[in-house]
Amino acid sequence: MAQTRREMLIDPMVDNNPITLQVLGICSALAVTSSLKVALVMAIAVTTVTAFSSMFISMIRNHIPGSIRIIVQMVIIASLVILVDQMLKAYAFEISKTLSVFVGLIITNCIVMGRAEAFAMKNPPLDSFVDGIGNGLGYGLILMLVGIIRELFGSGSLLGYTILPTVNNGGWYVPNGLLLLPPSAFFIIGLLIWAFRTWKPEQVEEREFKIQTVDAH
Amino acid sequence: MGLRNFFDRIEPDFEKGGKWERFFPIYEMIESFIYTPKTVTTVAPHARSYVDMKRIMTYVVLATIPCILVGTYNVGLQTNNAIADFGASGWRAAVIDALGIGFNPNNPLANILHGMMYFLPIYITTLVAGGIFEVVFATVRRHEVNEGFLVTSMLYALIMPATTPLWQVALGIIFGVVIGKEVFGGTGKNFLNPALTGRAFLYFAYPAQLSGDSVWVPVDGFTGATALAVSAADGYQALAAQGMSWWDSFIGFIPGSMGETSTLAALIGLAFLMVTKIANYRMVVGCMGGMIGFSLLLNLIGSDTNPMFAMPWYWHLVVGGYAFGLVFMVTEPVSGSHTNAGRYIYGALIGFMVVMIRVINPAFPEGMMLAILFGNVFAPLIDYFVVQANIRRRAKRHV
Amino acid sequence: MSEETNTPQEQPKGPIGRFLALPTDSVPKTVFVAVTLCLIASMIVSAAAVSLRPLQEINAQQDKQINILQVAGIYDPEADVIESFAAFEPHVLELSTGEFTDAFDPATFDDRAAADDPATSVALDDDPAGIVRQGEFVTVYLLRDDAGDLDKVILPIHGYGLWSTLYGFIALEENGNDIYGLQFYEHAETPGLGAEVDNPRWKALWNGKRLMDENGELQISVTKAVPAAGADYHIDALAGATLTTNGVNNLVRFWMGEAGFGPFLENLKAGEL
Repeated sequence: MAQTRREMLIDPMVDNNPITLQVLGICSALAVTSSLKVALVMAIAVTTVTAFSSMFISMIRNHIPGSIRIIVQMVIIASLVILVDQMLKAYAFEISKTLSVFVGLIITNCIVMGRAEAFAMKNPPLDSFVDGIGNGLGYGLILMLVGIIRELFGSGSLLGYTILPTVNNGGWYVPNGLLLLPPSAFFIIGLLIWAFRTWKPEQVEEREFKIQTVDAH
Repeated sequence: MGLRNFFDRIEPDFEKGGKWERFFPIYEMIESFIYTPKTVTTVAPHARSYVDMKRIMTYVVLATIPCILVGTYNVGLQTNNAIADFGASGWRAAVIDALGIGFNPNNPLANILHGMMYFLPIYITTLVAGGIFEVVFATVRRHEVNEGFLVTSMLYALIMPATTPLWQVALGIIFGVVIGKEVFGGTGKNFLNPALTGRAFLYFAYPAQLSGDSVWVPVDGFTGATALAVSAADGYQALAAQGMSWWDSFIGFIPGSMGETSTLAALIGLAFLMVTKIANYRMVVGCMGGMIGFSLLLNLIGSDTNPMFAMPWYWHLVVGGYAFGLVFMVTEPVSGSHTNAGRYIYGALIGFMVVMIRVINPAFPEGMMLAILFGNVFAPLIDYFVVQANIRRRAKRHV
Repeated sequence: MSEETNTPQEQPKGPIGRFLALPTDSVPKTVFVAVTLCLIASMIVSAAAVSLRPLQEINAQQDKQINILQVAGIYDPEADVIESFAAFEPHVLELSTGEFTDAFDPATFDDRAAADDPATSVALDDDPAGIVRQGEFVTVYLLRDDAGDLDKVILPIHGYGLWSTLYGFIALEENGNDIYGLQFYEHAETPGLGAEVDNPRWKALWNGKRLMDENGELQISVTKAVPAAGADYHIDALAGATLTTNGVNNLVRFWMGEAGFGPFLENLKAGEL
């Protein structure tokens, strides 16, 4: 093992973030980030599913036939997702209504499949579990950031508590309606990637081609 | 030539190795604004031309002058008319009272002055807020501040409703400059029109301030829907009842964004851009063709529930931002198609989309902004297919 | 997990152990893994689904009940929903006659399923609310005061806005003409514009408005300008959301009109309840 468990947990936060570096799991990041609470629940759900699916897959990794490898992973992930979905419907009904289909779509979240295929198939269960937690948290970190920006400036509140009283409710803040629409998450994630890569220039990809420039002077 | 001497004296400080090397873009911006740019293509293998970036951009700004004049006159006219019923308030009224000009809607001077007092704050805010970000990016990225921003800021200010809060104006132009242009590397590398990007941002972020009935005429309590909003609700025939004739719309005396109500002024600008060969006629032809063709088709199909189907093409031409967008944004060379065949297709796509959005989409009565941005996105793809078709055609010649 | 990894060095023990020691890609092993995994997964999933179903059903039911409590203005987040909801008297109403029917049990009657079922619904020709099919029967809720007199009636309404069908309730006072409140519990209108139908300030505008004037003409409207009938019959439009507003206007007028609850409101006014 080249990585320590600590690195497995910390690495996916910034240096190898599933959203900003690998650009995975964008779809749900657009859909569930208009309020922080929903983003938080989604982050927890994805972290749980990633961690446990990686762990279970790692446990039986030596018995998974190569020909049905992906299907086996899918079955495990899907079962976990259904469990999470049922739990939410039973114990957090309001939130499960807002998350609606996106809990079900964790199945297709590339991060979960990606970690199962890239890490859990080759590593022991505990490492896989930690790796799943780390990647789930990395995903959750971006979800939180986007959720904070969108809820604070889009509806003037955080976790439902009013921070900036909006004009419609007699305050002074004119909420930015664009942030309540899913496309705004594209801009925010784009800007986050920009910020991350300015901070960590080694994340910048090699240019495929260069626009020729002539020195003006 | 004291000024020239001054520039010559301080220039070494800004060049490579000079103490203010980092700020060369700012120096270059001011110097080339006052004098001609340093770099014009003069020798082979470049095509030699007297047209440089500065001249193109200056011509475009010149071409907007009719729009500014008619636009400010119209804002003043609408405002003064409404003041007759609703009364005047605010600092503008105080200034006008102090000058003793009054609010007579029949006095053109009073109208233009009142209109200018709405246009200038928005324009100046645009220049300052956008300009700061231009300079910051130019300084960090070490490229030159481009005259293109003069065009962007002018067009942006002209497509604002007169009542837009200034902080929103600033936010919009910053978004337009940064997301619409600078993240892609600055002028010439942007694939969206920055002015429209900023406008679209505001439109979706603050719809209550950028659309609706009460934003076009800056008098409290007065509501005046745009011609398109009226048509969407009751059909274009209802415009007459609202006192908007076709000629009013053509000349520009209807509620709307500050610079885009006058088709006539936009066409004067178009003539100027055509004579100076800055606007490419292919895009204009394509855009007119797409608009006329699709609106005729919709006229034929007809609809019992949607009165917009019946709107004839000559009304589509004069209402909303169609003419203004056609003249100043469809023809914009950077974000449009770059191949001649592609320009026809690009124009036609926009013409088709604008009618499509206006007529069939219930949420957006005005479609020009979205149609042009849509066209911008597709321009590179259109060029790609045009180039590929050309390659195939030439390959066949050499079997 | 019983399927913990067997390292190749270990001696296989028992029949399962020998099976696990087979080459991973052999056909029997592939089939075995697939079948076992599917069995375990399906058992876990179905166990969870079955054991959690009662809780989920209560949630879904409470969700609707909370909305009814809210529109009637008696929702208390602290109190038990089921208990508070017991104050309501549900009835299945036949729209065309405006009479309650005993043909269905109000506790289990599903308005939406009935509206889709050709046996209990009609396709609308004149369809201002944009609902395509209208159920002939709907569930309404009566709220009585302590003396047993009618206090409020809660009527379900729905119709098309800009992007979505809005589902909600309207609460009327016992005279069948004064509006107590209006609430939508399901819609997908534009956030910040059409979705302001959820704004408490806008909802509060409905309180105290009247449906019909003295002549029994339906006058209620949701528009920008105050109509000739006066402010008592007018709710101000949502700023910047003309089409959602039109949708709400149409659906309220539709459901309060002859094709909707008109006959029922007549009966209500005649004091038949």
